[in-house]
Amino acid sequence: MLTKFETKSNRVKGLSFHSKRPWILASLHSGVIQLWDYRMGTLIDRFDEHDGPVRGVHFHATQPLFVSGGDDYKIKVWNYKLHRCLFTLLGHLDYIRTVQFHHESPWIVSSSDDQTIRIWNWQSRTCISVLTGHNHYVMCALFHPKEDLVVSASLDQTVRVWDISALRKKTASPADDILRLSQMNTDFFGGVDAVVKYVLEGHDRGVNWASFHPTLPLLISGADDRQVKIWRMNDTKAWEVDTLRGHMNNVSCVLFHARQDLIVSNSEDKSIRVWDSTKRTALQTFRREQDRFWILASHPEMNLFAAGHDSGMIVFKLERERPAFSVSGDSLYYVKDRFLRFFEYSTQKDTQVIPIRRPGSISLNQGAKTLSFSPTENAVLICSDIDGGSYELYIIPKDSLGRGDTVHESKRGFGGSAVFVARNRFAVLEKSSDQVLVKNLKNEIVKKSALPIATDSIFYAGTGNLLCKTEDKVIIFDLQQRIVLGELQTSFVRYVVWSNDMESIALLSKHAVVLADKKLVHRCTLHETIRIKSGAWDDNGVFIYTTLTHIKYCLPNGDSGIIKTIDVPVYITKIFGNTIFCLDRDGRNRPIIIDSTEYVFKLSLLKKRHDQVMSMIRNSELCGQAMIAYLQQKGFPEVALHFVKDERTRFNLALESGNIEIAVASAKVIDEKDHWYRLGVEALRQGNAGIVEYAYQRTKNFERLSFLYLITGNLDKLSKMMKIAEQKSDVMGQFHNALYLGDVQERVKILENAGHLPLAYITASVHGLQGVAERLAADLGDNVPVLPEGGSASLLMPPNPILSGGDWPLLRVTKGIFEGGLDSAGRGVQEEYEDAADADWGEDLDIVDVVNMHNGDVSVALEGEDVDEQNDEGGWDYEDLELPPDVDTPKTATSARSSMFVAPPAGLPVSQIWVQKSSLAAEHAAAGNFDTTMRLLNRQLGIRNFAPLKTLFTDLHMGSHTYLLGFSSAPVISVAIERGWSESASPNVRGPPALAFNFSQLEDKLKAGYKATTAGKFTEALRLFLGILHTIPLIVVESRREVDEVKELITIAKEYVLGSMMELKRREMKDNPVREQELAAYFTHCNLQVPHLRLALLSALTVCYKAGNLNTAANFARRLLETNPTNENQTRTARRVLQAAERNMTDASELNYDFRNPFVVCGATYAPIYRGQKKVSCPYCGSHFVPSQEGQLCAVCDLALIGSDASGLLCSPSQVR
Amino acid sequence: MATPDLLFGLRNNFFLGAYQAAINNSDIPNLSEEESIERDSLVYRSYIALGSYQLVINEIESTAATALQAVKLLALYLSSPENKEATIASLQEYLSDPAYGNNPIVRLIAGIVFMHEKDYVEALKHTNVGGTMELHALNVQILIKMHRSDYAEKQLRIMQQIDEDHTLTQLANAWLNLAVGGSKIQEASLIFQDFSEKYQMTSLILNGKAVCCLHMEKIDEAESLLLEALNKANSLYSFHLPLLDVLYLPRCPLTHPHTPFIDEMQQDAKDPETLANLVVCSLHLGKQSSRYLSQLKLSHPEHVLVKRASAAEESFDRAVQTLA
Repeated sequence: MLTKFETKSNRVKGLSFHSKRPWILASLHSGVIQLWDYRMGTLIDRFDEHDGPVRGVHFHATQPLFVSGGDDYKIKVWNYKLHRCLFTLLGHLDYIRTVQFHHESPWIVSSSDDQTIRIWNWQSRTCISVLTGHNHYVMCALFHPKEDLVVSASLDQTVRVWDISALRKKTASPADDILRLSQMNTDFFGGVDAVVKYVLEGHDRGVNWASFHPTLPLLISGADDRQVKIWRMNDTKAWEVDTLRGHMNNVSCVLFHARQDLIVSNSEDKSIRVWDSTKRTALQTFRREQDRFWILASHPEMNLFAAGHDSGMIVFKLERERPAFSVSGDSLYYVKDRFLRFFEYSTQKDTQVIPIRRPGSISLNQGAKTLSFSPTENAVLICSDIDGGSYELYIIPKDSLGRGDTVHESKRGFGGSAVFVARNRFAVLEKSSDQVLVKNLKNEIVKKSALPIATDSIFYAGTGNLLCKTEDKVIIFDLQQRIVLGELQTSFVRYVVWSNDMESIALLSKHAVVLADKKLVHRCTLHETIRIKSGAWDDNGVFIYTTLTHIKYCLPNGDSGIIKTIDVPVYITKIFGNTIFCLDRDGRNRPIIIDSTEYVFKLSLLKKRHDQVMSMIRNSELCGQAMIAYLQQKGFPEVALHFVKDERTRFNLALESGNIEIAVASAKVIDEKDHWYRLGVEALRQGNAGIVEYAYQRTKNFERLSFLYLITGNLDKLSKMMKIAEQKSDVMGQFHNALYLGDVQERVKILENAGHLPLAYITASVHGLQGVAERLAADLGDNVPVLPEGGSASLLMPPNPILSGGDWPLLRVTKGIFEGGLDSAGRGVQEEYEDAADADWGEDLDIVDVVNMHNGDVSVALEGEDVDEQNDEGGWDYEDLELPPDVDTPKTATSARSSMFVAPPAGLPVSQIWVQKSSLAAEHAAAGNFDTTMRLLNRQLGIRNFAPLKTLFTDLHMGSHTYLLGFSSAPVISVAIERGWSESASPNVRGPPALAFNFSQLEDKLKAGYKATTAGKFTEALRLFLGILHTIPLIVVESRREVDEVKELITIAKEYVLGSMMELKRREMKDNPVREQELAAYFTHCNLQVPHLRLALLSALTVCYKAGNLNTAANFARRLLETNPTNENQTRTARRVLQAAERNMTDASELNYDFRNPFVVCGATYAPIYRGQKKVSCPYCGSHFVPSQEGQLCAVCDLALIGSDASGLLCSPSQVR
Repeated sequence: MATPDLLFGLRNNFFLGAYQAAINNSDIPNLSEEESIERDSLVYRSYIALGSYQLVINEIESTAATALQAVKLLALYLSSPENKEATIASLQEYLSDPAYGNNPIVRLIAGIVFMHEKDYVEALKHTNVGGTMELHALNVQILIKMHRSDYAEKQLRIMQQIDEDHTLTQLANAWLNLAVGGSKIQEASLIFQDFSEKYQMTSLILNGKAVCCLHMEKIDEAESLLLEALNKANSLYSFHLPLLDVLYLPRCPLTHPHTPFIDEMQQDAKDPETLANLVVCSLHLGKQSSRYLSQLKLSHPEHVLVKRASAAEESFDRAVQTLA
């Protein structure tokens, strides 16, 4: 039993859950009805109008109503929104035991000690039926949840089932007046609209409670004979099915569980018992010390129960509902019902993986509690409380993902908790001995390690580390070093959530979240009043967690807030940006989209990512007093300024952040004295005299203004101030100003006007205004004051300020990045955009030229056959390879200085195995056996000149091994790399060597060569194509098809090499126009790609045309046009040449070139060899030569001897097989 | 087993090639005498691994423990190839003396030295009995070098029986997995992956991962791993090694705190394998490998790859001659 909420009060006699809200009603023996929020744990309301105990209470399913019935014989219907009783139904003549609303009709059923059951219409507020028949107190009466039935239990030892369908008919046809009349008559005469259907006898004492099964035709009852009885009914009869014995005293209430095969009962024996309703056995008993139980209630939609007892009530559930899950990368493994399931976040695909074992003994809370997953081994550990704590280890077969139906064999073991600590190791907590067992995937103990503290449970804490938890602290323990890496005092931790990078950890206890780093250094603690359910880290380091009621966030500095409210508890599994993935209690995965703006904004502020802050201010609706208060509190008034529209707040924030301009603007709008005053103070602090003056002017604060003028030396304005004071007849102000100005005459005048003649006289005489003094003396007559003797008086003149007028040097206000940030940020974005627009041009235009290179020629097929024949002929040649001496024979151990130990003889290096196994030249080269390589090449391809191949040989050899740093200071291990690795390759079987050259590299080279040709860079092209020709002898491909491609590549490369060489030659022949034309002409007969052919034709055409060989030029032009050139210029040139040639079909000079007669070009002399003439060819590249070249090195490939014998290219193991 | 293993971190750092970290964190209190000898030998061997031979030779006095004498011999052997006969002779002297010859460190050093001499039989003679995890691991390596993975596997079984999760067991397992190839390479890769998750990245681990990638034909991945290793080591390597010897020539006590400057510099600095593997990697990617090769030739003229390259050229020329 998991207690969710408890109250202390008077005896609770009635309980009712609200169907939607987390509320429960409890009616007390004292007469009070309490309304509790069991999630928040608060008393919402109390209703105190009944006189004496209230035994029955019930919420209406949809209306804001509830009904109560008490020992004052009254049934009261209340509206909880209005907090008052709407009306009272009177009629019962004794205590009322139970009251219940009908689920759809406007009825209330009530049972009473007056031996009747009454059905009331709460809309018409009348009693519509009185069910009589019981001959003792009726303890309980309840509607059937679907059918027109009522069940009642009475102290007359019977349970009765009543048929009330007639009642429905009566209310269903109110239009029929006559019928109604007759019914009224029947009502009046004792009612036949509710009749007893069955009387269930079997209990031998009074029955306290009876209720229907929510779906099945079953009844359950509990009685003073301490028994619970199950009854079954059909259309015609009802009978006793079984009796559940076990309670030690009167059974007070009993219910069926709506979703599980369980029965819950409670009794005056101070216990709640849970029974299996199919096996009819007792499962569990929860006992209280003092309190007798009186009432039970179940939640209409959730798995919640409540029980009332002598001193309060408890809200509880029978089983944990938290699904066990484990997140690994993009996937979530979790347990639902009897299955392990798999959920992929990216696709949101949910699949059933394997069934897991059902616990052997049925009892409560035996489901999977935690789940730990090892992604590399695809292994799952499921822990549960079965047999007092045990785990099961499943290896998920990779292929059966998604179609598992058979129960897989699992490995089991006992232990408090089990968790993977490395890819193939898991730790099991053995609580009794305070140690962990580290086990491998075969469930064998690899290691035992004592724990430094008495641990309740363990969690993963990085590879090889465990997080151990006790009542009041957690530690991270290194299993290998057996040392404590970190320790933190916390309250009882229930769950642990690591961030994705394993740098931060969140420890969740019932009412607190503690964030710490990976060494358990405390960062912050959050306290919640509501239970915390789950949490996950987002990628920015914000911890997002759920309570029963809310999704909330916590920033690394401990700032937290609410993201949204939720109706039902969910368990966060993973967070992707704005999407939170949760599991709900039914084991469904659901994404929740949240507005992350607030916490992302706060996080950006915290991390001082001001650009982000700016863009968020600009783009999102981030407003509200809370945010402004937050910003102010965190010392970002200048940021808050950007949010605020309210001028007063704006003014305050501006002053706080020292932004005087905004403050002035706001002050102007507000235009209140107080604000001007404060503006003046701030402006003065900053030294902005202009604003100070303006502020003083606005507040008409003349004294301050005068003083300001004085210290700024603004005498003009000061005298103006004096005038103003005069006009306002402010004598003191006038005098002050005069004093400031040092204007004696004015002062005398003021004093005189004010009637202070003696003072005026003294002033005048002291300052030597004799004339005025005399006049005043005359006015004063006898009263001329005596001037003090001694001391020479002088006129006090205010000193001139050094800087007069204008502002003082301004106080430097720390200007945040936000000053003008809006503008600059905006501009930045635009620039970036423009840059990006520039970037994407002028690439990839040439690629078009290169496609279609594999347009299979007929010749390829022919050649393929050729090779076959050759292979047959030369197939036996490999036999007589000179193999290195057999190293396998032991030649050591002769020294044998140590008598007892005989060292094993050295094995065969992999490279030798390669040599033995292979007849491919490249593989021999990789093995470093160069002489056999050369022999092979010589035999196969007639290659004689190996100089160009030197680097290729060494590269192959060097690329065949990797270097593994082994034991410190010991020589490195070199490891042979094998070709064609696959996951399923069996070890210890040597594959062929991996080669540094492969066919795709050559294809790349070919493309580069084409490109160079297009660009007319023939030296470059020559180098590339020659490179291809040189590499091919050392290429290995897998399939026959690829062999053909290689051969085709030889032909292509050869043609281009020849062409390029002729073109280069031609460029040297500028002084020999005939030869130049010939070479240009031959070039057009190399087998080139169409675009290249066009270029060659164009060049030949130009050369011949210039030399006056119009006829030949015209032929080129025709051939060019036949290729349908896409380039306009080419077409135009060709047309023009044709036109010119038509007029004059002659050749100026004789060429050794007959385009009508097919020919090949000699690779050495660049002379045409017409069909039928004798020729020899290169055994490797197949270039043709005039017979005189026989025995020479091939001028094209520079490798083979012309005309020598060769067995043909062998470049694939498939050719040997 | 309940007492914490004080030297665990030090050993681990050493085995995984975090030599500077091993040196820096060597100041461990409450060591027994035996442990402190082991500590010193590990620290000196770390210096050797970093190439600071002179420091080791200077600091170990003739009165130091046998194990340390052996370490000094290793430093002598590696520092002056011209005097190696003398060094081997004194090593033989130690080995023939039963009082010293049974010291595991002496035997270990003997194994390493004879391995360098390519006299694997002699090496095995001293190491085969085992006794410490290090000796077993060295056995595995020697047997792999002899291409006897079957025997190596037997050694590995012994190690696994002693402690399956020991760093050396895991490492030896990875070596063997790579040597036998096939599906085992993936397991080797997982082992290195585990290391990289658990401990600080060293070039040993990065190289291990890269080699696995190379063998699994994930060449791009291998390259990025190797470049990461190179970046860790690079830049400081060329100038600081000579500097270090200068810095340490005056005697400084071992427990003296080392300056972070040196730490930074020595971090995985001596890293010929990274360069060698980069050469291989570049070759397979069809990229220029000559820069790495010449770098390697400059810094480690004795490296296997350099030797292999020059041997290849020679044998090429020879082969051309015979064919002509």
